[in-house]
Amino acid sequence: MRTRTVPQPAMSFEYTLWIFTRISGLGMLGLGLIGFVTALIMNARNLLDMNTLLRWSFFPNPNHVVNSNIPDISPGWSNAYWQVMEMLIVFFGISHGFNGLRVIIEDFIGHSLWQTILRGAVFLLWLFFLIIAVYVILAS
Amino acid sequence: MKVTVKILRYDPEKDQRPHYQTYQVDAEPTDWVLDLLERIKGDQDGSLSFRRSCAHGICGSDAMRINGMNRLACKTLLQDLHSHTIVVEPLLGLPIIKDLVVDMEPFFDHYKSVMPYLVNDEQAPMRERLQSPAERERFDDTTKCILCAACTTSCPSFWANGDYIGPAAIVNAHRFIFDSRDRASSERLRILNGQFGVFRCHTIFNCTQACPREIQITKAIGEVKKAIATGNLD
Repeated sequence: MRTRTVPQPAMSFEYTLWIFTRISGLGMLGLGLIGFVTALIMNARNLLDMNTLLRWSFFPNPNHVVNSNIPDISPGWSNAYWQVMEMLIVFFGISHGFNGLRVIIEDFIGHSLWQTILRGAVFLLWLFFLIIAVYVILAS
Repeated sequence: MKVTVKILRYDPEKDQRPHYQTYQVDAEPTDWVLDLLERIKGDQDGSLSFRRSCAHGICGSDAMRINGMNRLACKTLLQDLHSHTIVVEPLLGLPIIKDLVVDMEPFFDHYKSVMPYLVNDEQAPMRERLQSPAERERFDDTTKCILCAACTTSCPSFWANGDYIGPAAIVNAHRFIFDSRDRASSERLRILNGQFGVFRCHTIFNCTQACPREIQITKAIGEVKKAIATGNLD
Protein backbone atom coordinates (compact mmCIF):
# COMPACT_ATOMS: atom_id res chain seq x y z
CA MET A 1 0.00 0.00 0.00
CA ARG A 2 1.52 3.31 -1.03
CA THR A 3 1.86 6.03 1.57
CA ARG A 4 -0.84 8.67 1.36
CA THR A 5 -0.23 12.10 2.75
CA VAL A 6 -2.04 15.39 2.50
CA PRO A 7 -0.79 18.87 3.35
CA GLN A 8 -1.35 19.43 7.06
CA PRO A 9 -4.17 21.87 7.78
CA ALA A 10 -2.97 25.15 9.28
CA MET A 11 -2.55 25.03 13.07
CA SER A 12 -6.01 26.07 14.22
CA PHE A 13 -6.57 27.69 17.63
CA GLU A 14 -8.35 24.55 18.85
CA TYR A 15 -5.64 22.21 17.63
CA THR A 16 -2.84 24.35 19.07
CA LEU A 17 -4.48 24.42 22.51
CA TRP A 18 -5.36 20.73 22.29
CA ILE A 19 -1.66 19.97 21.78
CA PHE A 20 -0.70 22.47 24.50
CA THR A 21 -3.01 20.77 27.02
CA ARG A 22 -1.18 17.50 26.51
CA ILE A 23 2.30 19.02 26.54
CA SER A 24 1.60 21.14 29.63
CA GLY A 25 0.13 18.16 31.48
CA LEU A 26 3.20 16.08 30.78
CA GLY A 27 5.41 19.12 31.45
CA MET A 28 3.98 19.60 34.95
CA LEU A 29 4.56 15.94 35.77
CA GLY A 30 8.11 16.14 34.39
CA LEU A 31 8.93 19.32 36.30
CA GLY A 32 7.43 17.84 39.47
CA LEU A 33 9.63 14.78 39.03
CA ILE A 34 12.72 16.95 38.52
CA GLY A 35 11.89 18.93 41.68
CA PHE A 36 11.34 15.71 43.63
CA VAL A 37 14.54 14.01 42.51
CA THR A 38 16.67 17.14 42.89
CA ALA A 39 15.35 17.68 46.41
CA LEU A 40 16.27 14.10 47.30
CA ILE A 41 19.77 14.65 45.89
CA MET A 42 19.95 17.71 48.20
CA ASN A 43 19.30 15.42 51.19
CA ALA A 44 15.55 16.06 51.42
CA ARG A 45 15.20 12.59 52.99
CA ASN A 46 16.69 13.92 56.21
CA LEU A 47 15.66 17.56 55.93
CA LEU A 48 11.99 17.51 54.81
CA ASP A 49 8.89 15.58 55.76
CA MET A 50 6.86 13.94 52.98
CA ASN A 51 4.20 16.68 52.75
CA THR A 52 6.83 19.40 52.41
CA LEU A 53 8.76 17.39 49.85
CA LEU A 54 5.67 16.91 47.65
CA ARG A 55 4.68 20.58 47.99
CA TRP A 56 8.21 21.53 47.01
CA SER A 57 8.18 19.17 44.02
CA PHE A 58 5.19 20.84 42.41
CA PHE A 59 6.04 24.39 43.48
CA PRO A 60 9.71 24.73 44.52
CA ASN A 61 9.31 28.00 46.39
CA PRO A 62 11.77 28.68 49.27
CA ASN A 63 8.85 29.67 51.53
CA HIS A 64 7.73 26.03 51.42
CA VAL A 65 10.93 24.79 53.09
CA VAL A 66 11.78 27.73 55.32
CA ASN A 67 10.38 25.97 58.42
CA SER A 68 12.02 22.62 57.71
CA ASN A 69 15.29 21.21 59.06
CA ILE A 70 17.32 22.90 56.32
CA PRO A 71 19.93 24.97 58.16
CA ASP A 72 20.30 27.61 55.44
CA ILE A 73 18.02 27.68 52.37
CA SER A 74 19.85 30.44 50.53
CA PRO A 75 22.46 28.53 48.52
CA GLY A 76 20.71 25.37 47.30
CA TRP A 77 16.99 25.90 47.85
CA SER A 78 16.58 29.55 46.88
CA ASN A 79 18.20 30.54 43.61
CA ALA A 80 17.47 31.51 40.01
CA TYR A 81 17.26 27.87 38.87
CA TRP A 82 14.32 27.18 41.19
CA GLN A 83 12.69 30.47 40.19
CA VAL A 84 12.75 29.37 36.56
CA MET A 85 11.32 25.98 37.58
CA GLU A 86 8.56 27.72 39.53
CA MET A 87 7.71 29.97 36.62
CA LEU A 88 7.53 27.06 34.22
CA ILE A 89 5.27 25.07 36.54
CA VAL A 90 3.08 28.10 37.20
CA PHE A 91 2.84 28.90 33.48
CA PHE A 92 1.92 25.33 32.62
CA GLY A 93 -0.49 24.98 35.55
CA ILE A 94 -2.35 28.27 35.11
CA SER A 95 -2.49 28.00 31.33
CA HIS A 96 -3.60 24.35 31.44
CA GLY A 97 -6.32 25.17 33.98
CA PHE A 98 -7.65 28.27 32.28
CA ASN A 99 -7.65 26.55 28.91
CA GLY A 100 -9.73 23.81 30.54
CA LEU A 101 -12.13 26.49 31.76
CA ARG A 102 -12.29 27.96 28.24
CA VAL A 103 -13.06 24.52 26.78
CA ILE A 104 -15.84 23.94 29.32
CA ILE A 105 -17.35 27.36 28.58
CA GLU A 106 -17.18 26.83 24.81
CA ASP A 107 -18.61 23.33 25.18
CA PHE A 108 -21.78 24.97 26.41
CA ILE A 109 -21.88 28.17 24.36
CA GLY A 110 -22.10 28.20 20.58
CA HIS A 111 -21.25 31.07 18.23
CA SER A 112 -22.49 34.10 20.13
CA LEU A 113 -21.43 37.37 21.72
CA TRP A 114 -21.32 35.57 25.08
CA GLN A 115 -18.59 33.34 23.77
CA THR A 116 -16.43 36.34 22.87
CA ILE A 117 -17.11 38.03 26.22
CA LEU A 118 -16.37 34.92 28.29
CA ARG A 119 -13.32 34.06 26.21
CA GLY A 120 -12.02 37.59 26.89
CA ALA A 121 -12.78 37.23 30.61
CA VAL A 122 -10.88 33.93 30.78
CA PHE A 123 -7.92 35.51 28.98
CA LEU A 124 -7.84 38.45 31.41
CA LEU A 125 -8.09 36.14 34.43
CA TRP A 126 -5.29 33.97 33.02
CA LEU A 127 -3.11 37.06 32.58
CA PHE A 128 -3.97 38.37 36.07
CA PHE A 129 -3.08 35.10 37.80
CA LEU A 130 0.10 34.77 35.77
CA ILE A 131 1.26 38.27 36.78
CA ILE A 132 0.42 37.62 40.46
CA ALA A 133 2.29 34.32 40.36
CA VAL A 134 5.38 35.85 38.78
CA TYR A 135 5.29 38.62 41.40
CA VAL A 136 5.10 36.07 44.23
CA ILE A 137 7.98 34.08 42.74
CA LEU A 138 10.23 37.09 42.29
CA ALA A 139 9.35 38.55 45.69
CA SER A 140 10.00 35.39 47.70
CA MET B 1 -45.23 -11.86 30.72
CA LYS B 2 -46.55 -8.36 31.49
CA VAL B 3 -44.22 -5.51 30.71
CA THR B 4 -44.63 -1.91 31.82
CA VAL B 5 -43.62 0.50 29.07
CA LYS B 6 -43.12 4.10 30.13
CA ILE B 7 -42.91 6.43 27.14
CA LEU B 8 -42.00 10.10 27.07
CA ARG B 9 -44.87 11.66 25.13
CA TYR B 10 -45.09 15.12 23.63
CA ASP B 11 -47.67 16.54 21.28
CA PRO B 12 -46.80 20.17 20.46
CA GLU B 13 -50.47 20.90 19.69
CA LYS B 14 -51.67 19.79 23.15
CA ASP B 15 -48.79 19.60 25.62
CA GLN B 16 -46.86 22.38 27.31
CA ARG B 17 -43.97 20.02 27.96
CA PRO B 18 -43.12 16.33 27.53
CA HIS B 19 -44.63 13.90 30.04
CA TYR B 20 -44.45 10.16 30.67
CA GLN B 21 -47.32 7.83 29.83
CA THR B 22 -47.35 4.24 31.03
CA TYR B 23 -48.71 1.20 29.19
CA GLN B 24 -49.06 -2.46 30.20
CA VAL B 25 -48.21 -4.86 27.38
CA ASP B 26 -48.19 -8.65 27.04
CA ALA B 27 -44.80 -9.65 25.67
CA GLU B 28 -42.33 -12.47 25.23
CA PRO B 29 -38.66 -12.19 26.29
CA THR B 30 -37.75 -12.61 22.63
CA ASP B 31 -39.82 -9.62 21.52
CA TRP B 32 -38.05 -6.51 20.27
CA VAL B 33 -38.81 -3.17 21.86
CA LEU B 34 -40.15 -2.14 18.44
CA ASP B 35 -42.72 -4.98 18.72
CA LEU B 36 -43.97 -3.45 21.98
CA LEU B 37 -44.25 0.00 20.44
CA GLU B 38 -46.17 -1.45 17.47
CA ARG B 39 -48.48 -3.28 19.88
CA ILE B 40 -49.13 -0.12 21.89
CA LYS B 41 -49.80 1.91 18.76
CA GLY B 42 -51.97 -0.80 17.20
CA ASP B 43 -53.98 -1.95 20.25
CA GLN B 44 -53.92 0.79 22.87
CA ASP B 45 -53.03 4.27 21.62
CA GLY B 46 -52.95 5.13 17.95
CA SER B 47 -51.70 8.62 18.69
CA LEU B 48 -48.23 7.35 19.63
CA SER B 49 -45.63 8.50 17.07
CA PHE B 50 -42.30 6.91 16.33
CA ARG B 51 -40.14 6.28 13.27
CA ARG B 52 -39.53 2.82 11.88
CA SER B 53 -38.85 1.42 8.47
CA CYS B 54 -36.94 -1.79 7.81
CA ALA B 55 -37.21 -3.17 11.37
CA HIS B 56 -33.97 -5.07 10.80
CA GLY B 57 -31.32 -2.68 12.08
CA ILE B 58 -30.31 -1.40 8.66
CA CYS B 59 -32.27 1.79 8.00
CA GLY B 60 -31.47 3.45 11.32
CA SER B 61 -34.92 5.01 11.68
CA ASP B 62 -35.87 3.82 15.14
CA ALA B 63 -32.96 4.99 17.27
CA MET B 64 -34.27 6.06 20.69
CA ARG B 65 -33.31 6.08 24.34
CA ILE B 66 -34.28 2.75 25.86
CA ASN B 67 -33.69 2.45 29.60
CA GLY B 68 -31.31 5.40 29.41
CA MET B 69 -29.19 4.14 26.50
CA ASN B 70 -29.39 4.99 22.82
CA ARG B 71 -30.39 1.86 20.93
CA LEU B 72 -32.31 0.77 17.88
CA ALA B 73 -35.77 -0.42 19.00
CA CYS B 74 -35.66 -3.11 16.30
CA LYS B 75 -32.37 -4.53 17.60
CA THR B 76 -33.15 -4.50 21.32
CA LEU B 77 -34.57 -7.69 22.77
CA LEU B 78 -36.60 -7.47 25.97
CA GLN B 79 -34.56 -10.25 27.54
CA ASP B 80 -31.40 -8.18 27.10
CA LEU B 81 -32.86 -5.31 29.11
CA HIS B 82 -33.20 -7.50 32.25
CA SER B 83 -36.21 -5.50 33.41
CA HIS B 84 -40.00 -5.69 33.32
CA THR B 85 -40.17 -1.89 33.17
CA ILE B 86 -38.96 -0.25 30.01
CA VAL B 87 -38.51 3.48 29.70
CA VAL B 88 -38.54 4.77 26.12
CA GLU B 89 -37.57 8.38 25.35
CA PRO B 90 -36.68 10.32 22.22
CA LEU B 91 -33.02 10.95 21.38
CA LEU B 92 -31.43 13.73 23.41
CA GLY B 93 -29.98 16.88 21.88
CA LEU B 94 -32.40 17.15 18.94
CA PRO B 95 -35.75 18.99 19.04
CA ILE B 96 -38.77 16.73 19.57
CA ILE B 97 -41.32 16.92 16.76
CA LYS B 98 -43.81 14.53 18.39
CA ASP B 99 -43.39 11.74 20.96
CA LEU B 100 -40.35 9.69 19.87
CA VAL B 101 -39.86 11.53 16.59
CA VAL B 102 -37.04 14.09 16.67
CA ASP B 103 -36.02 16.69 14.12
CA MET B 104 -33.00 15.16 12.38
CA GLU B 105 -32.26 18.27 10.33
CA PRO B 106 -29.45 19.64 12.60
CA PHE B 107 -27.87 16.18 12.54
CA PHE B 108 -27.94 15.99 8.74
CA ASP B 109 -26.66 19.56 8.42
CA HIS B 110 -23.50 18.49 10.27
CA TYR B 111 -23.33 15.32 8.17
CA LYS B 112 -23.54 17.30 4.93
CA SER B 113 -20.89 19.78 6.07
CA VAL B 114 -18.11 17.15 5.80
CA MET B 115 -18.82 16.37 2.13
CA PRO B 116 -19.86 12.74 2.66
CA TYR B 117 -19.31 11.69 -0.95
CA LEU B 118 -16.37 10.71 -3.14
CA VAL B 119 -14.56 13.68 -4.66
CA ASN B 120 -12.23 12.92 -7.54
CA ASP B 121 -12.00 15.20 -10.56
CA GLU B 122 -9.24 13.20 -12.24
CA GLN B 123 -9.94 11.54 -15.57
CA ALA B 124 -12.00 8.43 -14.82
CA PRO B 125 -10.38 5.17 -15.95
CA MET B 126 -12.09 3.02 -18.59
CA ARG B 127 -13.48 0.51 -16.11
CA GLU B 128 -13.15 1.48 -12.44
CA ARG B 129 -10.93 3.25 -9.92
CA LEU B 130 -8.90 0.37 -8.58
CA GLN B 131 -8.24 -0.11 -4.90
CA SER B 132 -6.30 -2.86 -3.16
CA PRO B 133 -7.98 -4.92 -0.40
CA ALA B 134 -5.63 -3.28 2.12
CA GLU B 135 -6.65 0.20 0.97
CA ARG B 136 -10.32 -0.78 1.23
CA GLU B 137 -9.74 -2.26 4.67
CA ARG B 138 -8.36 1.07 5.92
CA PHE B 139 -11.82 2.63 6.18
CA ASP B 140 -13.96 -0.50 6.30
CA ASP B 141 -15.26 0.08 9.83
CA THR B 142 -16.68 3.52 9.12
CA THR B 143 -18.56 2.37 6.00
CA LYS B 144 -20.96 0.59 8.35
CA CYS B 145 -22.63 3.80 9.57
CA ILE B 146 -26.42 3.83 9.04
CA LEU B 147 -26.92 7.47 10.15
CA CYS B 148 -29.24 6.53 13.00
CA ALA B 149 -27.79 9.38 15.14
CA ALA B 150 -27.42 7.12 18.19
CA CYS B 151 -23.78 8.19 18.55
CA THR B 152 -24.18 11.93 18.10
CA THR B 153 -27.16 12.11 20.45
CA SER B 154 -25.32 10.11 23.14
CA CYS B 155 -22.46 12.62 23.15
CA PRO B 156 -22.40 15.09 26.09
CA SER B 157 -20.45 17.57 23.96
CA PHE B 158 -23.33 17.56 21.46
CA TRP B 159 -25.96 17.81 24.21
CA ALA B 160 -24.17 20.85 25.58
CA ASN B 161 -23.66 22.54 22.25
CA GLY B 162 -25.43 21.65 19.02
CA ASP B 163 -22.74 23.49 17.04
CA TYR B 164 -20.39 20.55 17.68
CA ILE B 165 -20.18 18.57 14.46
CA GLY B 166 -20.70 15.28 16.32
CA PRO B 167 -19.34 11.75 16.03
CA ALA B 168 -21.54 10.64 13.11
CA ALA B 169 -20.27 13.43 10.85
CA ILE B 170 -16.67 12.64 11.85
CA VAL B 171 -17.23 8.93 11.15
CA ASN B 172 -18.57 9.75 7.69
CA ALA B 173 -15.71 12.15 7.04
CA HIS B 174 -13.30 9.37 8.12
CA ARG B 175 -14.90 7.03 5.58
CA PHE B 176 -13.77 9.35 2.74
CA ILE B 177 -10.61 10.87 4.27
CA PHE B 178 -8.96 7.45 4.34
CA ASP B 179 -10.35 6.31 0.98
CA SER B 180 -7.41 6.11 -1.45
CA ARG B 181 -9.67 7.12 -4.38
CA ASP B 182 -10.79 10.37 -2.78
CA ARG B 183 -9.05 13.71 -3.40
CA ALA B 184 -10.78 16.00 -0.88
CA SER B 185 -9.20 14.73 2.35
CA SER B 186 -7.43 18.04 2.94
CA GLU B 187 -10.67 19.96 2.72
CA ARG B 188 -12.43 17.60 5.13
CA LEU B 189 -9.53 17.80 7.59
CA ARG B 190 -9.68 21.60 7.36
CA ILE B 191 -13.40 21.51 8.23
CA LEU B 192 -12.84 19.14 11.14
CA ASN B 193 -9.96 21.29 12.43
CA GLY B 194 -12.38 24.14 13.18
CA GLN B 195 -13.67 25.38 16.52
CA PHE B 196 -16.58 22.93 16.67
CA GLY B 197 -14.79 20.15 14.85
CA VAL B 198 -12.97 17.08 16.01
CA PHE B 199 -11.18 18.72 18.97
CA ARG B 200 -14.47 19.20 20.83
CA CYS B 201 -14.45 15.41 21.30
CA HIS B 202 -13.39 14.72 24.88
CA THR B 203 -13.00 10.95 24.38
CA ILE B 204 -16.00 10.04 26.53
CA PHE B 205 -16.71 6.85 24.51
CA ASN B 206 -20.53 7.16 24.76
CA CYS B 207 -20.68 7.11 20.96
CA THR B 208 -18.75 3.86 20.71
CA GLN B 209 -21.02 2.30 23.33
CA ALA B 210 -24.19 3.56 21.61
CA CYS B 211 -23.36 2.55 18.03
CA PRO B 212 -25.70 -0.30 16.98
CA ARG B 213 -23.24 -1.19 14.20
CA GLU B 214 -20.36 -1.51 16.68
CA ILE B 215 -18.20 1.00 14.82
CA GLN B 216 -15.10 1.94 16.81
CA ILE B 217 -16.10 5.59 16.68
CA THR B 218 -13.69 7.02 19.27
CA LYS B 219 -10.85 5.23 17.48
CA ALA B 220 -11.94 6.75 14.15
CA ILE B 221 -12.06 10.21 15.76
CA GLY B 222 -8.54 9.63 17.11
CA GLU B 223 -7.36 8.69 13.61
CA VAL B 224 -8.79 11.92 12.21
CA LYS B 225 -7.03 13.93 14.96
CA LYS B 226 -3.79 12.15 14.06
CA ALA B 227 -4.30 12.90 10.36
CA ILE B 228 -4.77 16.58 11.19
CA ALA B 229 -1.60 16.54 13.28
CA THR B 230 0.60 14.65 10.81
CA GLY B 231 -1.04 14.84 7.38
CA ASN B 232 -0.47 11.08 7.15
CA LEU B 233 -3.45 9.06 5.91
CA ASP B 234 -2.01 5.56 6.41
